[in-house]
Amino acid sequence: MSRSAAQWLQQPKLPQSHFVDSRIYTDETIFREEQQKVFNKSWIIACHESELPGAFDYRTFSHPGGTPLIVVRGEDQQVRSFYNVCPHRGNTLLYDPVGNAKRITCIFHSWSFDTRGNCVDITREEQGFQNRFCKADAGLREVRAEIGFGGFVWVNLDDGACTLKEYIGDAMNLLDEHMSMPLEVFHYHKAILNTNYKLWHDTNSEFYHDYLHYFNRVTGMLQPGYFDRKYVGYPNGHASVGSMTIKYDAYEGGKERGVGWPGLAPGGWILIDIFPAMTYNLRTSVLRMDTSIPLGPNKLLIEFRGLGLKSDTPEQRAERVRDHNTIWGPFGRNLHEDLLAVHGQGRSMRPGSEAAWVLHGREENMTIHDEGGMRHFYAEWSRRMERKSYEPFPEREMSVVA
Amino acid sequence: MGSNLPMQLDRIAIEELVYRSCLALDEKNFKAYLDLCHQDFRYTIAAHSPEIRKDMTWLDHDKPELQLLFNNLPRHISDHSPLTRHAIVYTVEYSAEQQQANVISALQVFKTSLDGGATELFAVGRYLDTVRVDGGAPRLLKRVVKLQTRQFGFGYHIPF
Repeated sequence: MSRSAAQWLQQPKLPQSHFVDSRIYTDETIFREEQQKVFNKSWIIACHESELPGAFDYRTFSHPGGTPLIVVRGEDQQVRSFYNVCPHRGNTLLYDPVGNAKRITCIFHSWSFDTRGNCVDITREEQGFQNRFCKADAGLREVRAEIGFGGFVWVNLDDGACTLKEYIGDAMNLLDEHMSMPLEVFHYHKAILNTNYKLWHDTNSEFYHDYLHYFNRVTGMLQPGYFDRKYVGYPNGHASVGSMTIKYDAYEGGKERGVGWPGLAPGGWILIDIFPAMTYNLRTSVLRMDTSIPLGPNKLLIEFRGLGLKSDTPEQRAERVRDHNTIWGPFGRNLHEDLLAVHGQGRSMRPGSEAAWVLHGREENMTIHDEGGMRHFYAEWSRRMERKSYEPFPEREMSVVA
Repeated sequence: MGSNLPMQLDRIAIEELVYRSCLALDEKNFKAYLDLCHQDFRYTIAAHSPEIRKDMTWLDHDKPELQLLFNNLPRHISDHSPLTRHAIVYTVEYSAEQQQANVISALQVFKTSLDGGATELFAVGRYLDTVRVDGGAPRLLKRVVKLQTRQFGFGYHIPF
């Protein structure tokens, strides 16, 4: 039976932890708060250490809190991160996404900095500033940076935050044993979509949407063990999904994968969602890493990385690349389907629409089609935002009551 | 390599091969597309990522694998917006000894939305083709779609 406007707006008859108000995906105020309360206080993956192989190599990063960053490897091999902002007139210091810079020199007025963030030159310093301001006053703003959990470079804008290890806790336990060898990024691309970052993280936090993927249905859902995979929630909003054996040859023309991954059973698949918007996805021979960078409540940049082992032979690497691209590349079978779905959510939930509620209500003993992974995320989101995800503003509740 | 084609007619035939390949894919006439390809055809989509300083291969199929990709398309959920491929053949270098021509074409791909018909530039790049020219109709022996564009929004299932 279809529903009237009042019925449509009525809270679902589910526990309040099992649905959210869709305005958390569209509201500008909530988005700005998320930048401050969630992204600026969380450990975020900026890049992978293999993207900075040598001294003075740098990588720029658009931090999801809004501040542009530099990640640079110093002469001492230490990886550090700074605001990509000149302390003089606020210009961008490094324009290219990648490069090698012994000195970081602003193009505007040639102020110059070393890879430890020291200001090493202010052009015509004495003539302009006399003794009122000097290089010691003009260092870059350093951001906490740590390398870990597969060699990723993590940054945190909050100087008072806990360590990365404390932030992750036990969430990476399922993957730790598979990350002992140095990794290397072989694939990188970006996608920009008119949707909210949480909708992408939701997609990475539930497998019920395997109905979207023909590939996953035939190689996974129809295979033994699929419905035994379990979600486990961890402190700070992280979640993991246990492995199963994917039967790749069930897809027409598919072949069993040969190259594999250290310690992972053939055809194995482990997924770990890191709060607020990162996902480790180790599938058979490839580690995929998604990093979401929200550009607005309804605009999202996703960085996709594919990683293999640094020790790969050319033949092994070619096989990993092929495995990756078959399903996850820009022309792969699954990625387009996932992106199309969250694009559709963004279309229907744009500001002003009355999409009303989004359900996370499936309970299947935390197995693969249970929506507990999303519920776990929104419990942490609500805690950090000091807002209820099912009722972020009081007025809707009042209007429903009225 | 590097000599001129023996006859201007051959260049016209090669250009037409490239243009027919665009038309066939635009019309999703995959049989017609594969008919333009030699039995040893290899199709690759490649791009360079300055971000990770690496060349990337995004798709790499022989003719049977490409046939399979086309066959499986109806089983997948895809964007239905039509693409329009616009190619211009820049250079044709003929090797009489190998009975092959190396062909470089500029490629632009446009996407037109079903709802309202707005057209946007979807991708730019080049076709780097190897064409078998052995007396019969020229056939694509190898196509590398070398893309400059690396952002495609929610993407697409059908190769360029």
